[in-house]
This record gives sequence, C-alpha cells and structure tokens, in this order.
Amino acid sequence: MIRYLAYRVALTVPLLLGTALVIFLAGHYAPGDPVQVLLGDHYSPGAAARMRHELGLDRPLLVQFTTYVARAATFDFGVSYVNPARRVSDIVRQTLPTSMRLAALAVAVASAAGVLLGVWAALVPGSTLDRLIQVGVLAGLSVPSFVVAAILVLLFALRWRVLPVAGWGIPGDSVLPVTVLAAAPTAYITRISRASVRQVLAEDYVRTARSKGLHGRAILARHVLRNAALPIVTTVGMAFGYAITGAFVVEVVFNIPGMARVAVDAILQRDYTVIQTAVLVYTALFTVINLAVDLSYAALNPRVRY
Amino acid sequence: MHRRIIALVVAAALVGGVVGAWRGSPAAGQVVGVLRTPLGGEPPTADPYFATDFSSGDLSFLMYTTLVGFDSKGRLVPEGARSWEVSPNGLVYTFHLRENVRFHSGRKVTAADWKWSFERMGDPALRTSVADVVLAGIEGYDAQQKGAPGLAGIKVVDPMTLQFVLNPKARGGFLNRLAYYAAVVLDRDVVEKGGKGWYESRDAGSGPFMLREWVHNDHVTLTSDPHYFLGAPRIARVEMPIVTQATTRLSEYQAGQLDLVQVPLADFQRIKAHPALGKELLVFPRAQIIWLGPNPRVYEPFKDARVRRAFAMAIDKSKIARTVFFGFYQPAASIVPPGIPGFYSGYRGLPYDPEGAKKLLAASPFAGKLPPLVIAMNPIAQDYQMAAEAVAAMLKDNLGVDVRLQKTEFANFQQGMNRRTVFPAFMTGWAADYLDYSDYLDLLLYSKSPLDRVSYANPEFDRLVDEANAAPTEAARTSLYHKAEALAVEDAAIVPIVFTQFALLKKPYVQGLQTTPALSGWLRFNTVSVQR
Repeated sequence: MIRYLAYRVALTVPLLLGTALVIFLAGHYAPGDPVQVLLGDHYSPGAAARMRHELGLDRPLLVQFTTYVARAATFDFGVSYVNPARRVSDIVRQTLPTSMRLAALAVAVASAAGVLLGVWAALVPGSTLDRLIQVGVLAGLSVPSFVVAAILVLLFALRWRVLPVAGWGIPGDSVLPVTVLAAAPTAYITRISRASVRQVLAEDYVRTARSKGLHGRAILARHVLRNAALPIVTTVGMAFGYAITGAFVVEVVFNIPGMARVAVDAILQRDYTVIQTAVLVYTALFTVINLAVDLSYAALNPRVRY
Repeated sequence: MHRRIIALVVAAALVGGVVGAWRGSPAAGQVVGVLRTPLGGEPPTADPYFATDFSSGDLSFLMYTTLVGFDSKGRLVPEGARSWEVSPNGLVYTFHLRENVRFHSGRKVTAADWKWSFERMGDPALRTSVADVVLAGIEGYDAQQKGAPGLAGIKVVDPMTLQFVLNPKARGGFLNRLAYYAAVVLDRDVVEKGGKGWYESRDAGSGPFMLREWVHNDHVTLTSDPHYFLGAPRIARVEMPIVTQATTRLSEYQAGQLDLVQVPLADFQRIKAHPALGKELLVFPRAQIIWLGPNPRVYEPFKDARVRRAFAMAIDKSKIARTVFFGFYQPAASIVPPGIPGFYSGYRGLPYDPEGAKKLLAASPFAGKLPPLVIAMNPIAQDYQMAAEAVAAMLKDNLGVDVRLQKTEFANFQQGMNRRTVFPAFMTGWAADYLDYSDYLDLLLYSKSPLDRVSYANPEFDRLVDEANAAPTEAARTSLYHKAEALAVEDAAIVPIVFTQFALLKKPYVQGLQTTPALSGWLRFNTVSVQR
C-alpha cells in the first residue's frame, strides 16, 4: 500500500512538469502578447521592448521555462503581470480556499441528495416517484449550469427576493451557487446509485438475507449499500472534479471571488503567470482527487489490494 | 424507512429556507449614508499614476486631488489650487494652493508635495504612461527622461505657491491636462514607507474618500474624509463590490444590492421601456467616438484619399445611429465628441452620398478592382461589433466591395492595431482621459504619435496641430484645431461613425450625483447623499 502510494505520488512529478511545459508553450505561441495588453493605449515599441526585458520575455524559451520550473518548485510563481504588486502565490492562497469551500459544499449536497434519491428510486422501480426522479436526472444532466443559474436567479433573487443575486460572504450567498453547481453531479450520482443499488438488490446474497427473515433496513444498510458503494464513490470523486470545473461558470455568474473567476479574468487579461499557476494548481487537484478515489477502493473493498 | 427519508428531505428543504431567510430581503438592504456601486473588475492598481483602466481610474479618482478639475459641464474649476495665473507669453503657470487641503494622514498639502509627486511621476525608472500626458512640455521633462534629477520646470515659490515653467514647444491644453484624473498629489510618507505595493492597504490621497478595505477580487470599501477641503461628503461610505459581469451588475441593481450601475448596451431598450427602471435611467453624452480606421499600409487602395473618401461617403451614419443604436448614439460628423470644450458644432463633415462615392471610386485607379476588405473589430465592447456589421453591409450595398469582418481576441486586436501592418481596417473607439482636443487629434492622427495607427502623415495637419498648440488664446487654438479636424475628416484619415452616450441606473434615494462626459460618467461622490 505504501509503495503504491509512493509510486502514485512520484508519478505526479512528470505529470505536473508536462502540464507546465504544455501551458508554457501554449501561452507563448498563442496569438497576442501580454506586453501589448499591459501597455494598452500607451503602447510604443520602445516601451514594449523595455517591459519585455523586465518581464524576462526576451530571454530564450528554455531559460524562461527552467527558471519558471525552478521557482515553482518552491511555490514561487512570480508576480501577476497585471498587478505586479501581487504575488501569484498570494492570489492562490486568497482565492483557492473559496473555490474549495464551494466545491466541497456542492459535492456534499450532491452526494447526500444523489444517494438518497438514487436509493429511493431503486427501491420503488417503475413507480411514479421513480419516473419523476428519472426525469429530474435527465434535466439535471442536460440543462447547462448557466441556464439553471439564470432561472434560479430570476425566481429566487429577482422575483421573490429571498436570496441574493450574487456575492459571497454571508450564508445566504452560497445557496444558489451551491445548488447550481450541485445540480449535474446530483443527477449523475442519483443515476449511478439507482443502477448500482438495483443491481445489488438482485444478488443472491440479498435474497438469502431476505429469506432468513432479516429486517429490510438491515439488508439495505449491511448488504446492499456497502456492496453498491464502490461505483458511487467513483462518481463522488468525479463529482468533485465536476464541481471544480463547473466553478468556472458558477463563480463568474454569481461573482464569487474564487480561484476559477480569477483564472477566467487572468485568461481575458493575458495574465500569464496567473494562468500558468491556475492550470498547475488544477492539475494537482485532479491528481489528488483521482488518487483519493483509487485509495478509497481499497478501504471499501477488501478484494482490492495494492 | 420511506417516511424517514421523506422527513430528511423536508428537513433539508427547511434548512435551505432558513438559510435563505437569514439574509432577509436584499431589496431592503439599502443603508442610509452608504453608496454601493460596482467596480467592473479587480483594480490592477490603486496607484493613480498607473490607473489607466476603468476600475483603477474610478477608485483613485475618489481618493485623490488634482490641481484643477472639471465640473459636470466640462468647465475647468479649481481643486487643489484655489486660483492660478498665466504669464502673458503663456509659458509660466502660477498656482495658489488652497490652505485647507490635507492628506488623509492629516498632514497639510504644500507646494513641495506637488513638486515631489510630479517628479515621481516623471521619474523614468517608474515608467508610467501618464507622465507623457501630464508633464510633456514642462521645462526639464526631457532632461529628466535622459537622467537629470528632478524636474527643473516645477518651482516651489513658497509653501502655498507652485509654478510650472513650460518650454516654448510645449503642447497646448496644459490646464486641461492637469485636470486628468491621474495628475494628483501623493503623500510622500505613505508612498516611500509603503514599499512596492504601498497602495494596497492605505491611500496617499487628499480626496473626499479614503481607502478602508481592499479585499482582492471581492470588494473595496472607502470611507469619507470629514476634513475634505470642499466640505465633508454627505455619505459615510462607498462600497464597491468587484462584479465582473455586466448582467450580474444589472441584476444586483434590480435586486436592490447596488445603487448605481452602468447599463450594458444590450439591455438599454429593455430598461428604457421598463415601467420602474425606466424612471431611474440617466442618459447623457459620453466623450467617446466609435470610428473606422482605414489602414493604407495594409490595404493598398486606402493610399488614395479618393477611395477613403468614397468609403466614408458610402456609410450612412445617421441610419446606424438610428437603427443599430436605436437613437441612443448620435451620428458623428467630426472626430472630437460633444462634451469636449470647443466641440465643432455645426460642422457637417463628409455627406452620406452613395452616388458621389461611386463616382469618386470610379475616378480612382482601383475602379472595379477593389480587393476584398477585412475589417477587424475591437472585441472589448459590443457596440464596436454592431457598428462594424452595419458598415460592412453598407459598403457592400453601396460600393460593391467584398467586406469581411474579423473577430479576434482583445490582446490580439490590440497587438494588430499597434503594429499597423496587420489589419486592412479596424473598428474601434476612443474615450477621453481628459476633456481636451489634444486627447483626440494629437494622439490619434499626429504623425509622430505612437497611437497614429492609421499612419496618417499629412504635414498640413501636423502644422495646424503644432500651431494650435502654440496658439496664444483658447479661441485661436480651437479655431486651428477645427481646421485640422476638418482636414482629417475630409481626407477620411479615419471615418467617424457615432458619438456614444452614457446610460446609468441610479436609485431614486441617491441624490446629488454629478455626471461628466468622461471617466465612468460621474464626478466624485462628495455631493451625493443616500436617504429614504
């Protein structure tokens, strides 16, 4: 187990390096030039050359890249091009916790609601309730989050005025964004939970348990849910990934000062250092999530051994 | 079992409801004495000498003081200076400072502070683009750029008297340029002790509001300075949440979370027709022009003034203003917008005359063999694209030119326009930093200007601008600028399309707001009050 863990952690190093290289090259070869953006209407070739030199953009690519990697290894991601008084590591420290809290809330809501609805639907297959849940699942999966957001804002914030339009700070602020961000993962978890539970319900050992007179609740808790959990856990891990990427829409729409909104702004402003760091941070996050899911298999399923 | 699950769901719904009710009705969130207006993005800086974007500009404008300023009619008014004199040869400006201007630290602002501030602005190591706007023409500025210490042309006569000596070749409009919102005095102690990011936690200003809190990417809060020299502001705080999406800003205004917002063009008609919001709408001219830039360096036919003129005459600006911009914008005959002192009112420019345009084209060597034209559009605002689409259709209809539109991302557009060798033509806009003719003609069309992106190099135009800048009186200056402007318009060096307007939404309980054609449309909030 420890060897496996060490192996997986070691594997992230080349992965992050590769990511850094790709994003570095993409930034370099994409049309447009950060110096042009920074100077805006006050552009002149002389000023551009000076600024390019100051930012180190006139050095050979290889030198730029190795300097970048060496610094990043010590969590020094340089300064923002747009606001040179701000260190990128500070920006990450200030905004990433907000995004993580948002994602965690969404995953918690999606897991609770998804498992609940999925199990419920599995217990009454073919009923009106099951069909209703199925329709909800379809809607949750197919309606894009910005549409859900617009509808919820229109109803709850503008028409009934019970929730704020946007913002982040007081508890009420999180209700709409978390709902929007949780919608698709809830649907997905519901669908997987339903399928998984139904499959387990048909197993011989469930029939055995039932035939020896075990109480329905005990069967569900001890035999069904534990065996149905494996695919559900994978889905929860995926939901976390979804919540992190979905934040790119939700944070912008609901004006939440998280890492995703900052990354979107950085992309629009060509704030190279912030973009590079955001991609690295998100890559690292996804790696950690995948690792956590893989490890949880072992914890849940005694047959899985690393 | 089922019952328990139902109970859980009901409980969850209840918790959600309670959390929602916690907030109360946001519509009732209006607080007496607090003005809530958004910043359109995280300010890249709050150092006024670098505040060239809207967020930073709005922010520093409220906290800092210029020597002279503009009132809502665009007239020059005293700010940090109570009065001034100009020498008969127009080269020496003597300012008498107000006695009661104090930095937010409480220290009195003296002539030495102004000199130190402007010398910091001019310091070539600081490299701020506002220096050229404010300081060019002051004796010793060129020497400072070459490494001389200080700015010889700024003199401290006594603690309350400040003198500027201009060199004889200085550009005109010096007073107007001093009213540029970046030409402010800074508290030396704050700047020097605060290090590189000195502006992050406190300001160095002497304006009506001071920085209380700046939570990056979230909000900025300003509190009023009770000792402000024009009288204590009537509101206690300005709360400026950072809201990047225009639609979100509008929704927050509708939900009562904001008191003052700009209306996106796309929503203008809906707001105007709205029974309640329509009454809260303020519409007034903005010192901004949308223009088409024909680039002779890329599109060969544009080297011929007849072709450029034909293109200009084939564009029905009145129709664009009326139908594309639903009468919200005004057709532009000239380049410098109304709202700028000396606006060339009554000037008709080139007429809309498709037949005349065809004749002009036929007389040029390019008759019948115009290559396809690509117009690049500035993506930063929707109205540039709307104007470009209309222009493309009119050029096709009236001249039979094959026009294609190119949409590109902002950095790329900026780069292509600055390089001057990329786009055959482009549609963009220009808004005033300060209300003066030179902010348009000198910058956009003077052959030595780095912003002359259409590579206009007409010695006659340059001469008129030079003469205007050396003109002894304001009237003579304006008249020379009018000649230069007419020359550029009739040469079709650039094609003016429309002058834009501001549309603001302001809650009825916000009173005393003063508007301006520049900046974001408002003057400092020291006259504003918020009450039921």
